[in-house]
Amino acid sequence: MNSYLKYFLKKFGWYLLTLVVAITLNFFLPRMIKGNPVSVIVSAMSQGMSDVNAQKKLYESYMHQFGLDKPLFQQYLIYFQNILHGDFGVSFGNYPRRVSNILASAIPWTLGLQIPAILIGWLLGNLLGAFTAYKKGVFDKIIFPAALFVNSMPFFALSIIMLYVFGLHLKWFPIGGGYGYQMIPNLSLSFIGSVLQHHFLPFISIVLVAIGGQAIGMRSMSIYELNSDYVLYAKLMGIRDSRVVRYVFRNAVLPQVTGLALSIGTMISGALITEIVFNYPGIGTWLFTAIRTLDFPLISGCTLMITLAVLAANFTIEIIYGLIDPRVKATQMEGQ
Amino acid sequence: MGQTILTVSELKTFYRTRLKENVHAVDGVSFTLEEGKILGIAGESGCGKSTLALSVMGFYFPPLNFKSGSIVIDGIDIMKLSREDLRTKVLGEEIAYIPQSAMNALNPTKRVGKFIEDILREHRPGLSQEQMQRLAAERFEILNLPTRALTAYPNELSGGMKQRVVIATSTILNPKVLIADEPTSALDVSSQKIAIKLLKSLLAKGFVKSMLFITHELPLLKHVADDVMIMYAGQIVERGRIDEVIFKPMHPYAQALMGSIIVPESDIRGHRLSSIPGAPPNLKNEMKGCRFADRCIHTVDECRKEEIPERARGERTIRCLFDFDYQSEETAHERR
Amino acid sequence: MIGTLRILIRSPKFIIGLAILAVVLGTVFVYPMVNTADPVEMVASGFDPPSAQYILGADNFGRDTFLELMYGTRTSLYVGLIAGVFATVVGLVLGLAAGYIGGLADNVITLITNMFIVIPSFVILILVSVSINSRSSTVTALIIGLTSWPWTARAVRAQTTSLRNRDHVNIAKISGYSTTKIILFEILPYIASYVVMAFILQIASGILSEAAISMLGLGPYNTVSLGIMMNWALMFEAPAAGAWWAFVPTSLMIAAISFSLFMMNTGMDEIFNPKIRN
Repeated sequence: MNSYLKYFLKKFGWYLLTLVVAITLNFFLPRMIKGNPVSVIVSAMSQGMSDVNAQKKLYESYMHQFGLDKPLFQQYLIYFQNILHGDFGVSFGNYPRRVSNILASAIPWTLGLQIPAILIGWLLGNLLGAFTAYKKGVFDKIIFPAALFVNSMPFFALSIIMLYVFGLHLKWFPIGGGYGYQMIPNLSLSFIGSVLQHHFLPFISIVLVAIGGQAIGMRSMSIYELNSDYVLYAKLMGIRDSRVVRYVFRNAVLPQVTGLALSIGTMISGALITEIVFNYPGIGTWLFTAIRTLDFPLISGCTLMITLAVLAANFTIEIIYGLIDPRVKATQMEGQ
Repeated sequence: MGQTILTVSELKTFYRTRLKENVHAVDGVSFTLEEGKILGIAGESGCGKSTLALSVMGFYFPPLNFKSGSIVIDGIDIMKLSREDLRTKVLGEEIAYIPQSAMNALNPTKRVGKFIEDILREHRPGLSQEQMQRLAAERFEILNLPTRALTAYPNELSGGMKQRVVIATSTILNPKVLIADEPTSALDVSSQKIAIKLLKSLLAKGFVKSMLFITHELPLLKHVADDVMIMYAGQIVERGRIDEVIFKPMHPYAQALMGSIIVPESDIRGHRLSSIPGAPPNLKNEMKGCRFADRCIHTVDECRKEEIPERARGERTIRCLFDFDYQSEETAHERR
Repeated sequence: MIGTLRILIRSPKFIIGLAILAVVLGTVFVYPMVNTADPVEMVASGFDPPSAQYILGADNFGRDTFLELMYGTRTSLYVGLIAGVFATVVGLVLGLAAGYIGGLADNVITLITNMFIVIPSFVILILVSVSINSRSSTVTALIIGLTSWPWTARAVRAQTTSLRNRDHVNIAKISGYSTTKIILFEILPYIASYVVMAFILQIASGILSEAAISMLGLGPYNTVSLGIMMNWALMFEAPAAGAWWAFVPTSLMIAAISFSLFMMNTGMDEIFNPKIRN
């Protein structure tokens, strides 16, 4: 357990460092380009304004809020400090609502949509992948290309088709939002029912694409394991196929846990765009609105939240992985 | 002479490659194995000796396929049994296998003892878990293996220990024939010696009745085997007592092979190194006549016309039309 | 090289992928030569359904959707290709440097690579795109390439590290070959198949990334791409208007291109990676 603690601390330190780098990028990347973003944004925002004085006022108030009159490095420190206090500034587009307030309202929707969808997609995909690798033949010849095709489709493309077919054409499901627009959030059964109804289509879109991607990974991992020496040896010692398959599944699914860590960034990003298609009240839809209105503090808050979520997911997966795979002690400890 | 335990006649097996070609890896092999004997099989890599080891197990799965021939153990032709009977009554029970790379032969996420339990569960369904554990522990003690290895994961064991654990695992059901495919090639010299001692003690203690020992290291075989078969391009070209075949090979290929080994052994050291010109034939092609004809210095037209039958010459069996006695390297060179 | 191709054409997966890609390429490059109309000209009214004249109807602006799809595919392929080349070159250089030099350089490059694998590239794409005002397709492609090199770098590093201490490399070192020569003749040929495979994957992921950021409204300006077409379909509520032709063919086109590239990659993987042969 002592060695595990060491593993834990090492991972923790590494992720902390990565987070600092990510926050730094979140600050510097938009500011590397000539002309600071605020001046660009303010000039865009104030295009309709004829009053030069009002324009100047707006500009100065933002300059002050971001500390743009100070040197860049000092701005960075202020930014960092604010983030540590959970202060992401005030939204341009939803003035005077604070960004932290918007994020707090959006995060439960995004988590509620993505966590179950990704986990279920991962699980079903792995079962399907192992099954096709084991069955081979015709089964593999149909399932593999189908899974690959679904995986080739961006999340939002599948979403928009699902929205059209099941929401608009067949009218089985509502076409957008997180709940019926006439409702006020409460804990009544009708409200929860409405939430689940609105949840279904975006949820299924994410699950389907996730199944495709995971099934492909698991299939090749299982084929790799099926060809390994311990499978041959176990079979030649008379161990029945169903038991050998269990060995293979366990060994193939463990790397898939790491695979989930590596692909979770892409999956979360894709699922965020699914929210846009369904106008789901999560981070993705807010990000979309923010980009359209050049609501810079909100964009920055959203990207930071996404980064934080992806890093946290990765860290959690690695920590669990260290617990369940006996091989990790020998190999993973040295790496990274 | 002891009782005959294993009789293999005219065994032919082939690999089916992904490109739908057949590789005739074992092409008409016949031999017998008597009680208490260790029979060596030697040859260059790619000559089909590992495939022969797998083929003799009688349990085929892709890409290896059975073509014709018989494998008789204690009077029963195992190729006539159903696959299920073969798995439960023959594998591990009558005939057991030690794979080429013991390093990867054990399931990395299964404790050694649990794997042995799985084997016993297939073949001794009446035993309780406690009885199975006791049986494994007793066997490990008799063979001077640490019983703590039973609760270890494979990657917690050293290479030499892994190999000994695999040897003990393979023979847990007291098989009549043990097939060891290069069991020591990945080990350092001292681990090699321990492993060989263990194999011999299995025979002495009666846990196995006979052994096929496959290796490319002839000097090693000299310490282990009673008889030896030299294999070339899927066929046995010479069989005889180990000392005789090593020091006075009769088949031109065996002669060339003995000429091409250098070893720090006092009695073999005098031989000069000479490599055999040319390359072994491509086993994808159907062949007629002597497989070694293209590289042999004695080849005449008849060699290529018909399949060369095996024939007895004294106590030996050779697959060559002519009688060539072994001569010193110098004379051989003059002839070239 | 010829031998490799001969083996590859016996892989059904590779051939299927190549065939789909060839059909797509053929169509998008030949059709605009036959129909020389301007793809952004408004020839019909908004969301006109498919007809004999315009087989995929019209989009929200009343443009010929099929013709637009041809030009959009060309832009997306171009972005994917440039992004793929850029990511592969950067990944190859960094991977070779880390794997071959080793030591401190390896540690630093590996640390950075691993960080950029974990930090979502989507976020970096947004942050950079949002601050560049007039993005051409090339700029978009370069930004995408900038975020996707770590995968290639990691794969190349792993391969190079395992090659570095092989006999043939050591012999070349002892024989006094220059580092450039060793990398060109003793290392690159051995990792070439992996690099080509990674390159194919990078093109596919480049096309998908373009679609994703264009969907957000951060795609290239003054052009039509598959992602931009999807963005328009969503913004102008094509699904609600029942105009499936404005987004279904586009979705299928994105899927078909990345599917063909994934297929080719899988076919190659099965041939070059002996461990996953079925």
